[in-house]
Amino acid sequence: MADYCPRCGAKLETPLGCNACGVLFSPESAPTPFEALGMEPVYRVDPAELKRRLLRLSRMLHPDYFGSGGEEERRLAERNSAELNRAFAILADDWRRADWLVGWLGGPDEARERAMPQAFLAEVLEWNEALEAARSGAPGGEERRALDSLDGELGAQRETAFGELASLLDPLPSRGDAALVKARRRLNALRYLDRTLSEIEALRLEEATSRP
Amino acid sequence: MGFIPLDVLNKREDLPAVGIDLGTTNSLVAVWEGGRPEILRPEGGDGHVPSVVYFPERGAPLVGKEARERAVFDPRRAIFSVKRFMGRGIADVLHDLGTVPFPARESEHGVIQFDVDGRLWTPQEISALILSRVGEVAALASGGKALARAVITVPAYFDDAQRQATRDAARLAGIDVLRIVNEPTAASLAYGLDTKRQGNVAVFDLGGGTFDVSILSIEDGVFRVLSTHGDTHLGGDDFDRALARVASLELAVRLDSETLEDAAFQQALRLAAERCKIQLSFDREAEMHLQLPESGVQWRRRFTREEFEGVSAELVERTIDSCRRALADSKLAREAIDEVVLVGGATRTPSVRRRVEEFFGRPPHAELNPDEVVALGAAVQAHVLSGGTRDVLLMDVTPLSLGLETVGGAVAKIIQRNSTIPCLATEGFTTYVDNQTGIDFNVVQGERELAKDCRSLGRFKLSGIPPMPAGLPRVAVRFHIDANGILTVTAKEQSTGASAHIEVQPEHGLTDEEVDQMLASAYEHAQEDFDARRLAELRTEIDIMARATEKGLKSARAELDRETVLDIDEAMARARAAGSANDVAALQRSRDELERATLPLAAVLMDSVAKAALSGKTLGEV
Repeated sequence: MADYCPRCGAKLETPLGCNACGVLFSPESAPTPFEALGMEPVYRVDPAELKRRLLRLSRMLHPDYFGSGGEEERRLAERNSAELNRAFAILADDWRRADWLVGWLGGPDEARERAMPQAFLAEVLEWNEALEAARSGAPGGEERRALDSLDGELGAQRETAFGELASLLDPLPSRGDAALVKARRRLNALRYLDRTLSEIEALRLEEATSRP
Repeated sequence: MGFIPLDVLNKREDLPAVGIDLGTTNSLVAVWEGGRPEILRPEGGDGHVPSVVYFPERGAPLVGKEARERAVFDPRRAIFSVKRFMGRGIADVLHDLGTVPFPARESEHGVIQFDVDGRLWTPQEISALILSRVGEVAALASGGKALARAVITVPAYFDDAQRQATRDAARLAGIDVLRIVNEPTAASLAYGLDTKRQGNVAVFDLGGGTFDVSILSIEDGVFRVLSTHGDTHLGGDDFDRALARVASLELAVRLDSETLEDAAFQQALRLAAERCKIQLSFDREAEMHLQLPESGVQWRRRFTREEFEGVSAELVERTIDSCRRALADSKLAREAIDEVVLVGGATRTPSVRRRVEEFFGRPPHAELNPDEVVALGAAVQAHVLSGGTRDVLLMDVTPLSLGLETVGGAVAKIIQRNSTIPCLATEGFTTYVDNQTGIDFNVVQGERELAKDCRSLGRFKLSGIPPMPAGLPRVAVRFHIDANGILTVTAKEQSTGASAHIEVQPEHGLTDEEVDQMLASAYEHAQEDFDARRLAELRTEIDIMARATEKGLKSARAELDRETVLDIDEAMARARAAGSANDVAALQRSRDELERATLPLAAVLMDSVAKAALSGKTLGEV
C-alpha cells in the first residue's frame, strides 16, 4: 500500500483514493477490508468508528461526486465505492469479520472443522423439532410460545459463543496458531445458531403478516 | 405575415440537469434553482403530466392532460399506468392487461408490445412519449430551454429489468440519464434538506401503482438507506379497483358479460371509482356515478367511507407487512424510528394514514405535497451529480438478493438484499468436462429458495475458456451492481489471464439493437410529425395571405399596374394548387412567391393607410 499520495503527497488513509486531493487510485490487487477502511486488522472494532470511516470515505469515493467526471473516473468511483461497501459489510458483521480474520491468518476455511460434538448436535435436533412444532401449531398456541423461550436461550448462547471467539481472536493469534482451529469450530457452530434464529424471525414475520 | 423558423434542434440552450418523477399516474419535473429544488410549471399550469397516452385514429399520439381528457370520452384508444408493464412479460401482468384497450403480444425477448392499428408499441416507447411530453413542459416553463440530462426516479423495489426498461425509455426520449434514483430515497432528500434532520426515518411511499417503504439513517448530510421493502404491483390504482369491483358485481345483474369485460367499460368504471375514492378522502360519503351512453345505462351508488375501508383493508395491511419486513431487515426496533414521512398521492387516503401512524406509533409527516416530493428530491440529486454540492450524499441499497441457479434448481445467493450500492461480488467457476470452453448460467433476483420462484434477469453464457482438463480453469465472474441499481457481469479466466466473454440475454428487456432501431424510427416519425405540423402552419398562413390579398385587390387594384396584378393572380393560383399537395418545400416556395408578388400591393395599401390616417379617417373607412 502506498502510504503517501503520489499527486499531493498527503498521508493516505486508504489505497482506494486520497482524501486530501480527491484523486482515485486503481490498486492492482483489491485491498483487504481493513486496508480499505484504513484500519489495523483487529477483531474488536468500534461500530461507531467503523461507520464514521465509511461515511467519511464514501464522501470521497461515491460515484455521485463524479457525475461530471470522465468515464474512467466514473468507473473507478463505481469500483472503489463497491470495494469500500464490501469492506464495511464484512467488518460490521461479527461473524464475517471473524471469518475473514481466520482465513487471512491461514486458519481452516468454512468447509473444514465441521464435525460438532454429539451433545451439540442433539441440541440442534431439539431446536429443529421446536421449529417444526411451531410451524404446524396454531398461531398464538403453546408451541409458538415455546419458540419465544428458545429465542431467548439461543440469543444468550450466541453471546457466549461470540465472547469465546473474542478471547480467541483478541489479541490476534499468529499465523497457524491452534486458536484459529478453535475459532473456526465456534464459527461453524454459530452457523447453526444463526440459522435457527433467522428461522424463528421468519416464522414470526409470517405469523404477523398472515391474515384470515 | 412574417414567419419565425423553429430551429428546435440546434439553437436551444439546455436546462441544468433536472429530476423527473416518472409516475404510474402522473409525471413531474423539477430543477435546482436559487438554492432549492423547484417544480417546473408552465405559466398557469401545475406542471403535472398525467402518464396517459391517447392514440388518435390519425396523427401523432397525444400525451398528458389532453390524452386524459380524450380518454374520458373515448377510453378505447388510451393507455394508462404503462409503468406496470415496464420490464415485465405478459405472464406477469395478466391482471393489468384488462385495462389496456389494445391487444398485447410479446416480442422474442419477452417484451410486451401493444398493437395500436398495426403499429407495435413497447412500454418503453410509451414511457418515452411521456418523458418527451415532460421535456416539453420543462421547455415551456423555462422559456424554451431543452431538457437534456436528468435523474429519473423508480420505485425502490423495482428489479433490474424494470430499471433497465426505465433507462431505455429515457434513451428513446433523447435524455441523458445521470442516475436512476429510488423514489422514497429521493423523497427523503427533499424532506431532509428543509429541516437538517438527523436520526432514523421511515419513508412510506404509496404511489399510483407501486408501494415502497425505506428505512434510512440520516447523519451529517449522509442519507444512508438501511433497508427497503415494497410491492411493485400495489398502489392507488388498486384502491380504485377495489371500489370498481363492488360496482361491477352490482352492475352484473343489469349488463351482459361482454359489456362488463369491455376495456372501455372497465376504463370508465375505473375513472368513476377514482373520483369516488378521492371524494371519500374528504367526505364521509360519496357518490359513484357511471354513465354509459352506448348502452343507455345511468348508474349511481352511494359509498360510505367505512364501506370503502372495508373493501380496501387488505391492501392497507399489505403495506404494513412490507413495513414489518423492512424494519426487521434494518435491525432497528420500532421505537428507534424517529420520524415517518408520507409520499405518494395514495397516502391521502385516511385509512392508510391512520394505519401507518398506528404501526410506527407516531404521527407521520406530510408537510410537503406528497405528489411532488419525489421530483423535488430527484432535482436535489441532479444538482449533486452535476457537481453542484458535496453537502449531501445518498447511499442506497439493492432491494433484492442476487443469485445464481445451481444444479437442481436451487439459488446460490451472491449479493444479499439491502446491500449498499455500488456493490460487487466475485464467484469462482470451473468446468465439469475436459476441454469445456463455455459455461451457461442463469442469474436470478429474489428471495425465494428455488430459481423458478425468483425472477430471471437473464441467462449468461460464459465462453472463450481455454481448453483444459476438467476442474482446472479458474473463472472469476464479477457481479457489479452500480449506483443505479443495475447489474453488469464480467468474467476472467485466472490461470491463463484470458478474459472470458459474457453474453447477456436480457429477459423482458430491449437489446441495444432494438433501442437503436426504435430511435431511428422515432427520428423518421419525428420528421413526419414535424412535416405535418409545418404543412398545417403553411396552409393556414397561405390562407390568411390569400384572403388579405383578395380584400386588398378589391380596394387597390386600380392603383397597380397590369403586370403586378397578373403576377399576383398567378402566385395566388400556384399557392392554392400547392396547398392541396403534401410537399412542405413546394408549399414554402409558393408561400414565399406569394409574399414577393404581393409586395407592391402591400406598399399601395400601406400608403393608403398612411393617407387615411393623415386625413383623419379610421382604417375601416379606407
